Amino acid sequence: MSAGQGHAAGRKPGRALVTGGAHGLGAAFVRRLLAEGCEVTVLDKDPAGIDTAQVDFIRCDLASRESLDRTLPDLVTAGPYDLVILNAGINATGRFEDISAEAHLEILRVNAEAPMVIASRLLGTGAFTPSATLGFVSSLSHFTGYPGGASYAASKDVLAVHAKGLRAVAARKGVGITVAFPGPLRTAHAERHAPKGADASRRMDPDLAAIQILADMLSGRKTSVPGRATHAFAIAGRLMPRTVTALMRRLIYRRLVC
Amino acid sequence: MTGSVTRSGARRILITGGTSGLGLAVAKKLARHHKLLLSGRKSQIEMAGALPRGAGYIVADQRDPERSTEVLLRGIRDFGWDSLDNAVLNAGVGFAPADGLDGPEAIRETLDVNLVAAMLQAQALFPLLAKSRGTLTFIGSVAHTGSATFPAYAASKAGLHGLARSLRSEWGGRVSVQVLHPGPTKTDMHAKAGHDPGRMRALFLEPGDVAAMMASAIASRRSPVTLSWLRYLSGGAYLGRRL
Repeated sequence: MSAGQGHAAGRKPGRALVTGGAHGLGAAFVRRLLAEGCEVTVLDKDPAGIDTAQVDFIRCDLASRESLDRTLPDLVTAGPYDLVILNAGINATGRFEDISAEAHLEILRVNAEAPMVIASRLLGTGAFTPSATLGFVSSLSHFTGYPGGASYAASKDVLAVHAKGLRAVAARKGVGITVAFPGPLRTAHAERHAPKGADASRRMDPDLAAIQILADMLSGRKTSVPGRATHAFAIAGRLMPRTVTALMRRLIYRRLVC
Repeated sequence: MTGSVTRSGARRILITGGTSGLGLAVAKKLARHHKLLLSGRKSQIEMAGALPRGAGYIVADQRDPERSTEVLLRGIRDFGWDSLDNAVLNAGVGFAPADGLDGPEAIRETLDVNLVAAMLQAQALFPLLAKSRGTLTFIGSVAHTGSATFPAYAASKAGLHGLARSLRSEWGGRVSVQVLHPGPTKTDMHAKAGHDPGRMRALFLEPGDVAAMMASAIASRRSPVTLSWLRYLSGGAYLGRRL
């Protein structure tokens, strides 16, 4: 699934930036990085859920272009980073035609446009230390399709393919790029957007996912697909795209719209 | 005889980005047998005489996705249409940044025109398409798997690919959703993007041939469909279904 990019395995980052670090998988990344003695900058909309004594907090609403443009210089000066994880993401599920246009727009802004702008700016301003890692959090939906979350799926495809396009220019600057494709996690985010009555115990523990993704990022892997079930789904989605999207329709869409 | 068959089989087709490139080429192809409504950034005056005969025209700038969606809906209604058989969301823009890194403005414009506008228009046009069990066609690109030359453009086309994949599943039986991925074509796309393909341009396909492949792919309602040399050499521009 992945190949090395010449990074030392098990490298410890000194300074890291995590977007969307207040909740869910982002908070799990932050916990793990702090436990490893890393200095962490967290970008999020709201500091609730964050111990601001332990991290540098930057407030920014990624849905707002003005807010992001105001924040970009601060993000650059808070570097240089050994590790940047562009993790922030939002979702809205249901029938595509019933979800408001504003919600669709916001999903694309937060999940795709903002991380693209941040990645390009950080790479263009040398905000990374030598042999740093830039990590993007895409989604398993990149491999499976996501009826019931069409704009979310589109946004995560944008992110994964943009990351791929940046690989060569990042490598010339000594920065490795890893794209993570986590499946369903046991987070409040997943709880809000999963069909009612879905079995939460089958979702992956976000702390476990964070550990696996971080290990992949720091050992220079190009992709990270945490968990065996997620991996199996990703491979099936690649080999049998129509069948797997049809399965997603049964598992998610039908139950969401009933 | 042919005349009456043509009239009864005439479809109402909307094509965004219909003023140049592949949009205009496919419009010319379809104008003989179908009713067309095109949209683009150019003014009515600039387009006078450049439109295929009988086609309507709406000025809609996709750089403002919300406004262009409203304008399109109003334009369709003012044209007297209460349903659509086909919507071809083709408007697109691309940039080739010199250092491989797009600035914020280029990223935002690329996503707005290529993906956000298409997404909002897909949603707004759904009721019109559903009335006639029509087909919604997104025009992607073979670059949808990633490009270091056009990183944001490729990413936006990946978004269309993913949107089509999920929507096709959601709307199955009501509206056919498809994404077509044309390969490099001899349009002014590359010049507009600030990229000189050099001698490679000799290998690009002719717009008329790609338009013919697009028309038969639209008629087939399949997705995703890649429109490149492989399809051309297997007769894609001459064989296949007619809309």
